[in-house]
Amino acid sequence: MNRHQLGEFEEIVLLTVGILYKKAYGVAIIDEIEQRLSRKVSIGALQTVLRRLEDKGYLSSELGEATSVRGGKRKRFFNLTTLGSRVLRETQDQRVELFKAIPRVAFPKQ
Amino acid sequence: MTAPSGIKPPTISLRFFRWFCDPTIAEDIEGDLTEMFLREAHKDTLSHARWRFTLNVLRLFRPGIIRKVKNPSSHFHPSPMFKNYFITSVRSLARSKGFSTINIIGLAVGLATFSLISFYVYHEMSFDRYHKNADRIVRVVENLRTENELLFQSVSSPPMGPHLLNDFPEVESYARFQNWSLLAERNGISYYEPDSYLADSTVFDIFSFNLLQGDKKSALREPFSIVLTESMAKKYFDGEDPVGQTIKMDYDNYKVTGVMEDVPENSHFRFSNLISFSTWSRNNKQAENGEWFWNGFHTYLLLRDAGSIDKVRAKMKAFIGRNMEKGGMYYEDLPLQPLASIYMAPLRSWENGTRGSLNNVYILSIIAMFILLIACFNYVNLATARASRRLKEVGLRKSLGAMRRMLVAQFLGESIIVTLLASLLGMLIAWLILPSFRTIVESRLSFSILPDPWIIAGAGLGLILFIGILAGAYPALIISGFQPLQIFRPSVKGIYSHHNFRKVLVSVQFVISIMLVAGTLLVQDQIELVKNQDLGFNKNATLVVPTNGDTVIMNHLDAVKNELKALKGVVAVTGSASVPGRSTTNNYTQIEMTDGKMSPTNINFNYVDHDFLTTYSIKLLAGRDFRRDVKADDTTAFLINETAVKDFGWTPEQALGKKIHHRYQGKIIGVIKDFNYMSLHNKVEPLMLSLSAWPNRISIRLDETDLTASVDRVQRKWTELAPNLPFDYTFLDVDFDRQYKADQQLSKVAGIFTGLAIFIGCLGLLGLTSFAVERRTKEIGIRKVLGASVGSVVVLIAREFLWLIVIALLVSTPITWYLIQRWEQNFTLQAVINPLRFLVAGVCVFVFAWMTISLLSFRAATANPTKALRTE
Repeated sequence: MNRHQLGEFEEIVLLTVGILYKKAYGVAIIDEIEQRLSRKVSIGALQTVLRRLEDKGYLSSELGEATSVRGGKRKRFFNLTTLGSRVLRETQDQRVELFKAIPRVAFPKQ
Repeated sequence: MTAPSGIKPPTISLRFFRWFCDPTIAEDIEGDLTEMFLREAHKDTLSHARWRFTLNVLRLFRPGIIRKVKNPSSHFHPSPMFKNYFITSVRSLARSKGFSTINIIGLAVGLATFSLISFYVYHEMSFDRYHKNADRIVRVVENLRTENELLFQSVSSPPMGPHLLNDFPEVESYARFQNWSLLAERNGISYYEPDSYLADSTVFDIFSFNLLQGDKKSALREPFSIVLTESMAKKYFDGEDPVGQTIKMDYDNYKVTGVMEDVPENSHFRFSNLISFSTWSRNNKQAENGEWFWNGFHTYLLLRDAGSIDKVRAKMKAFIGRNMEKGGMYYEDLPLQPLASIYMAPLRSWENGTRGSLNNVYILSIIAMFILLIACFNYVNLATARASRRLKEVGLRKSLGAMRRMLVAQFLGESIIVTLLASLLGMLIAWLILPSFRTIVESRLSFSILPDPWIIAGAGLGLILFIGILAGAYPALIISGFQPLQIFRPSVKGIYSHHNFRKVLVSVQFVISIMLVAGTLLVQDQIELVKNQDLGFNKNATLVVPTNGDTVIMNHLDAVKNELKALKGVVAVTGSASVPGRSTTNNYTQIEMTDGKMSPTNINFNYVDHDFLTTYSIKLLAGRDFRRDVKADDTTAFLINETAVKDFGWTPEQALGKKIHHRYQGKIIGVIKDFNYMSLHNKVEPLMLSLSAWPNRISIRLDETDLTASVDRVQRKWTELAPNLPFDYTFLDVDFDRQYKADQQLSKVAGIFTGLAIFIGCLGLLGLTSFAVERRTKEIGIRKVLGASVGSVVVLIAREFLWLIVIALLVSTPITWYLIQRWEQNFTLQAVINPLRFLVAGVCVFVFAWMTISLLSFRAATANPTKALRTE
């Protein structure tokens, strides 16, 4: 299990790439995170994490078609790999397990 | 959504990104960046988008994105090479310890003086800039036209502030000040507080004076409110809380409503306390509204924005016409001085506080540059002279494929290392002499006025790099330019051919040294001349004591004077409103002209008693002095000075009997010879004397022998006669000469730095000579074997340098002559420039240079020639 530890931001990025299925590239990921979580994401942080996740084998990427909007530069689309989706699911299960293990009395009354 | 051609991300950032980014991922990230940039450029302003782009690029500059360092199998190993450079630099410095020491000490002293002078100059230029509103505050000053003259005054009248606020929408607020010299007293502690100021309640809104206790808005609202500075509060209320308590100033009790931080030293006027303006205005409502020519105040305006000063200036003429009647005297203009410019502005009459001298700041800056230049030249000289020692190293490096660029970098690096070491030593030196420097310039120069330490560190680093490169550039280019072949087969010619360049540098050093020495001597000549000039009155051994209008003294003035005169050692006693060297008042007066009409003028006045002329030994040209037996003199007699007589176009005899309307109607009874009642920076201006029984100061002329005992006797008598008045005396000549304070400081500082410049120059000369001697060891040995005398050998070596001094003397004389002449224009009286001074300077530099050179050449000349010839 230890091999597949995910950082919080890594997890969010992985989830977002999943959400954007086939359309996940830099700007789109930033937009999606900012929209859903209303949290600022710097391109520097994002790109580093994307490369790291790719190195770990959780993401794969391919270059898209060139468009004029981006100064003729191609987009790099990211996709979850099988390993990536498994790690994501495991992490999710862990969280749920942990949450369920909290005794009800621990929650302060609303 | 295509990009319009104008919308482009900043090129520099883009290039930076392309440079550092890992090429395998660069394309798509650049695309992302561009996309975001274009989107923001559409949504927001272009500049904002460009800024965001740069920010994003900087955020990408992190591991993971930065391209991987090339694999270590390539040919290029930069770090061991630099390490080697560093080692060789340090080794070569260590090998020739003498040279390195000379270089480093010279540069260190240069840098130390440079930083001290910079500190001083910064201090002088920082005046009043600490106010938050500094750029919006202006002072209202006057160009006052009377029938006979145009007066430039720093003062203004009480209605100006309120009316300007009323008439100009650009004016946000105003504050008026008036200097009151008061005797403060509380619980038996009593001192004069000559820097007490009446001030409007707006003062804390306009100026950034820091009020520690009390309310900004209301502290100076009620009459008889007083705000003390911390140090004054400590003086009278040591340990107690002064707020709410009372303090007696002269005859009134004031309620302390606030305590403020002391006024920073870099303020153009400083005060010990502020008194509410209403204290004065409550009984002077009429004057406050209508006395447009009561020029006893300094008015400051706060403008709404800094740019509106020209708008207000343009409307000033109309303002004057609208509010003031054009009588015998009117305002030609009411200029506005920006706050930060006041300290260095040309003097106007009745200035508040002290003023700086832009001239001195310039002169000192130039001296600082000179000293730094001399130190740099030393480095260049010694480094090129020593180049031959590094030739083998350079040759080897070149043979092994070093490029010239690398060698230049190596030698520049070396000079930067030297500068760095020198600056560390220089900082220590500067720190050690800072206290004495503070005494010389009579300024506290506290570090608190300096900007952020990071800025200073940055500037210091910049300076080190600059000096390192400036000093290292020439040697680096020379040394790296040698051809390896030439080096290993020394035909010598090409290598030692930088003699001439070195000679030029040495001559320039001599030129600067001679200029500094001659300049210092000539400045001293001028100051001596001014100090010893016959001022038309006797300023020696005269004690001046303020009376503060004390009723005890005023009511028994003649008795007090007689008591004092009876003391042993007292020659004469007189009371007057002002004494020479202190400002006089000028007052509206009407004078009968030759055609019989009464003409208005604003003439300087001093109110004196019957003994004034005799006490001060002022001569009469025509008519008579005030006489005690002529009772009418008290209310009808005026004395006038020679300049005024000339200005009105009279002869002294014609002046007698001319009618004068002043406080009373009277006539001129005598004409006195001009005396310089102000410093010799100013011409003697027209002056009138009339009698008064209310002197502000009593002058006591003492016998010049045994001054101290006489002063003691006077003091004892004084405390007996007026126990409640402090005996706060000054000597007139000391006080008068304080008007030349700035000039004397300049001469002192210039003198010291001249010494330093010569010291640094001689250090360089020492190095050069030792090099010349070393190179000619064998020659000297052979000469001695063949019978040369010690003297002829010394001359042989010294000759090289000494004729440079002659050239330097020829070059520096006209430059110095011109500069000193310009400087002397500051005085009404100029010393004749004495050509001998240049000779003295030349000889002085010559002697120092000769001593330096002889020291080494003598050693070489007396050494045993066998030793010299055996060295191989």
